[in-house]
Amino acid sequence: MAALWAVSGLRPRPGPASPWSLPPPPRPAKSSLWCSRTESELRVLDMAASAVATAASKGNGGGGGRSGPSEGSSARKKKFPGPLATAYLVIYNVVMTAGWLVIAVGLVRAYLAKGSYHSLYYSIEKPLKFFQTGALLEILHCAIGIVPSSVVLTSFQVMSRVFLIWAVTHSVKEVQTEDSVLLFVTAWTITEIIRYSFYTFSLLNHLPYLIKWARYTLFIVLYPMGVSGELLTIYAALPFVRQAGLYSISLPNKYNFSFDYYAFLILIMISYIPLFPQLYFHMIHQRRKVLSHTEEHKKFE
Amino acid sequence: MKHYEVEILDAKTREKLCFLDKVEPQATIAEIKNLFTKTHPQWYPARQSLRLDPKGKSLKDEDILQKLPVGTTATLYFRDLGAQISWVTVFLTEYAGPLFIYLLFYFRVPFLYGHKYDFTSSRHSVVHLACICHSFHYVKRLLETLFVHRFSHGTMPLRNIFKNCTYYWGFAAWMAYYINHPLYTPPTYGAQQVKLALAIFVICQLGNFSIHMALRDLRPAGSKTRKIPYPTKNPFTWLFLLVSCPNYTYEVGSWIGFAIMTQCLPVALFSLVGFTQMTIWAKGKHRSYLKEFRDYPPLRMPIVPFLL
Repeated sequence: MAALWAVSGLRPRPGPASPWSLPPPPRPAKSSLWCSRTESELRVLDMAASAVATAASKGNGGGGGRSGPSEGSSARKKKFPGPLATAYLVIYNVVMTAGWLVIAVGLVRAYLAKGSYHSLYYSIEKPLKFFQTGALLEILHCAIGIVPSSVVLTSFQVMSRVFLIWAVTHSVKEVQTEDSVLLFVTAWTITEIIRYSFYTFSLLNHLPYLIKWARYTLFIVLYPMGVSGELLTIYAALPFVRQAGLYSISLPNKYNFSFDYYAFLILIMISYIPLFPQLYFHMIHQRRKVLSHTEEHKKFE
Repeated sequence: MKHYEVEILDAKTREKLCFLDKVEPQATIAEIKNLFTKTHPQWYPARQSLRLDPKGKSLKDEDILQKLPVGTTATLYFRDLGAQISWVTVFLTEYAGPLFIYLLFYFRVPFLYGHKYDFTSSRHSVVHLACICHSFHYVKRLLETLFVHRFSHGTMPLRNIFKNCTYYWGFAAWMAYYINHPLYTPPTYGAQQVKLALAIFVICQLGNFSIHMALRDLRPAGSKTRKIPYPTKNPFTWLFLLVSCPNYTYEVGSWIGFAIMTQCLPVALFSLVGFTQMTIWAKGKHRSYLKEFRDYPPLRMPIVPFLL
């Protein structure tokens, strides 16, 4: 892996990533290596990222990630995303990396300006909404097959993030000043910067070990941090939902239907209990597999 | 007559599990499974999957040893399918639930609604009609399971019963709660709407039953033969001209009728979910018909005429 990096002459760019100055997409000759190493890692690490992304992936059944069971060995993919798709994905991932960097910088600047870490949500509200909602495109990527992940799982994961942003934080104004919001926003921000830069490097066919390590290690702290922030925020929103009857319909009505958003939020919170441990320990397992696999591979270089 | 020897290995560990000698060449896989059970009684035949290749397809019970591509010493690989439960048991359980649960709500058994409503009766005639239709539907299903259907497979994995019952019982409770609620609102267009919906419901129930009978008649008792279904003299079966699985078409129609009758959103959602699942099944069935029969009528669609 290190040898390949040296040979390709690519270096990670320190400045803002410009899509137009990127090297051309990998030639077919390299694709088999891409398929055998980073492709399977992509699948494996997709699971890691998706697990860190959220715990509320329902219907997961056994804590699987975005794709099926990962193979540590070379899983050659027959449908390799063409050069156009690869270029698009590189652009997408670079833009997302940049977006979450903007959020990170915004948080830091707001903290320095205010002198406290309370109510920082307002300073990054717009980019947070924009870039997190933009992740909906990832569902499309799976649906059209340029990313080898399950549409269903990706949908659950992205939708639950989007749910927290719009249906909880945006909708219940009173929770926006809660510290729990900062907790999950920070966790998400660090995770997403690593995840999207990981994808970018993988697509460009050289992956610095640091990024891989980060993606597989930081979740140990970030994942519980994010889940705590999410749960505390939902919990904080409950009384206001009850008071305002937010998003709730009661009987009688023409369609003989009722919905209690308060009860729904409680159900969501309860669903974290079976899901979080499954995903967390699955990722720990993946970590052992992938990081030890790399160690072995390094021995042969 | 030369006798065969059969050795059975575990598909995952390649461990030798059983060695059978003096097996008749005409022996079927079913008979071999029975012999295997003798040495490993915890693996009854229904949960055995025997195959020629550890990663290959399961052999069928009817396959004859002599006709398989094996020498006189056959090596079969075994996979445990897990605890099995018979289809009949699953069907009976999953259909009896909704029948019973709906009636609990209809009679407003205590703790479902407020105490002042215990054992009261709805003042809307459509609520009584809905109870009759819903109950009729599930009684029909139970009777068909006992007397009409001829199943290709005897069993399915045990965990399916939990999944299926959750689905049927859960939705039944959800629907029944609203339809029998003291604050239920009858359909906007009144008796006209209910009459139309009832007509749709009855036609589709008759249609669904007709298809089940036609499918039964395709297959003699105790056999597992598969034939292309064709329309019979019964007009309800003429839907076979346009659709591979008219039983599913009629089923969706029944539930749409019930949804219109009760004007209840949960019923509509149940119909939608059911439609999605049945479409998946219909497409699969259609595909296997096309694979198996080269002269399969080209006009037919899986579940919705001309469309889907």
